[in-house]
Amino acid sequence: MNATNGSNPNNGDSGYWGFTILFWAINTAIYFSFAVHYAGWTAPIVVGYLLYPIYSIGLTHLLHLELRRRRGRVLPVWKRIAEMVLAVLAIGLVQTFLIGAVDWLFGGRDSLFYQQTALIASAFGATSAVGMWVFVYAFRDHRLQRIQLKLALREAELRALEAQINPHFLFNCLNSIRALVAENPARAQDMITRLANIFRYNLHREPTHTVPLAAEVEVVNDYLALESVRFEDRLRVHLAISAEAGKTPVPSMLLQTLVENALKHGIAPLPSGGDLLIRAERDRDATRIEVENTGQLGANSDNGAEVERGQAGVGLNNTRERLRILYGGRASLQLRNREDGRVVATVLIPANARA
Amino acid sequence: MKAVIIDDERLARVELRRLLAEHPEVQVAGEARGGEEALDVIAGLSPDLIFLDIQMPGMTGFQLLERLEDVPQVIFTTGYDEYAIKAFEVNALDYLMKPIAPARLAAALARARPRQSKSRLEQVFVRDGEKCWIVRLADVFLMESEGNYTRLCFGSDRPLIRRSLNALEEQLDPAISFRANRKQIVNLKWVQAMAAGAGGALAVTLRGGREVEISRRAAARLREVMSL
Repeated sequence: MNATNGSNPNNGDSGYWGFTILFWAINTAIYFSFAVHYAGWTAPIVVGYLLYPIYSIGLTHLLHLELRRRRGRVLPVWKRIAEMVLAVLAIGLVQTFLIGAVDWLFGGRDSLFYQQTALIASAFGATSAVGMWVFVYAFRDHRLQRIQLKLALREAELRALEAQINPHFLFNCLNSIRALVAENPARAQDMITRLANIFRYNLHREPTHTVPLAAEVEVVNDYLALESVRFEDRLRVHLAISAEAGKTPVPSMLLQTLVENALKHGIAPLPSGGDLLIRAERDRDATRIEVENTGQLGANSDNGAEVERGQAGVGLNNTRERLRILYGGRASLQLRNREDGRVVATVLIPANARA
Repeated sequence: MKAVIIDDERLARVELRRLLAEHPEVQVAGEARGGEEALDVIAGLSPDLIFLDIQMPGMTGFQLLERLEDVPQVIFTTGYDEYAIKAFEVNALDYLMKPIAPARLAAALARARPRQSKSRLEQVFVRDGEKCWIVRLADVFLMESEGNYTRLCFGSDRPLIRRSLNALEEQLDPAISFRANRKQIVNLKWVQAMAAGAGGALAVTLRGGREVEISRRAAARLREVMSL
């Protein structure tokens, strides 16, 4: 599932209909006044220009729907332009046919089909109108996409911050540390340092940028050390990050989000705890990052787990969205239940990604 | 007062124990790492007071309360749980946020009372859809039988509890709870007025205006109890 496929077919472009209707209304008004000026108020002209905006809106709307459906594909610019030109010509052709047909129905022998020049003029007029519509449409769409990307990033930033300064984590952590102060002062000091590391990392990080995976691993290590204080022997961590993989640029908070999900939804609900495995390997084409944990997706169904799963879903969708923004569909994130009672999250980052 | 600490984190239990050392009136009689363990510990010790974490693996604090027949006084201890706390309407003794401030703990403990009686039911936990209550039976003015369930009437709430009226009756204090008829038990402390009905029956009006028919057989008993 693509996170951008909202339920609204216009994808949040509330001005789409206004723009389309206004565009065709103005276009019709201009063409109509020319037609009346040269040919007078005749039935074929009046009927023709009553119908013209209706099928024009219909045709361009079909194009709009098709473009929405294909959104998110990665194509070279020249191919995109060629596609658009073809679409404009095709719609222009259909329009010309419809103009002619209406005219023929109402004008009989005098109709456009019998006057080559007039037909060509109509074809030219209709096609250039569609061309203009597509031009404005593409401009609007480009602007809209940029706004949406920005919003997605901002949301990712917020979510990451929330996750990090996750109050449940923070307060339980502080509580544990307070107990450690008496029980094991050296360990308490270590935990305070790690908590400081996590907060520093979060305050200094640029959510729109990437960081080397190794930096993520480092802060995840701090995070896991803190969680180990709470989970004690309920949490067993295994790390296997190859040196090569550690250099891969990844969106900040990528690993953190996955690990946090694994703990919160996988291991925390299990009375006897579980294993957490983090692996990363790099080959010629891609870096593969895996976070594996004991548990099954959707296993716990009470205690507002619905709500929490919803939150996890949002976190993952947001991570997917950021991957899409940064790597344009070449990176992926998958979460699946494995048959041996484990959940594995797999992220693939293309090898030639720009950092 | 006998207390039990229920929390899945060892360090959280250690910390609470340390804080409670300042309060000699509270004796920590036991600990539990989760719901299942807590059920045994509570059954064995019947504490006056439990400190209960909400988010625990296996069984949440709420689920534990649901499985307790007789609910002791509860002080919730939680890291950060707006969601969970919102679900609660009535009558937890207190909610303490971890790390727990000593002054807040003292304030919560000031509200705790030793149990009146070991054998009588004092509080029950009720869940009705999204809402939950710890209901003090002293606040319930009327219990109505609905098959295997009983409707508890208190304040403006009328949730159902999954116990039969007969089963509840056995655990209630007969000096306060009065079986008015086959279907209803009234709380005598809530009776405001009484009127004679047809054929030796009685009708009582409870504070709040609710009227209850007292069957002929029960009426004789009621006259006795109320020494009329």
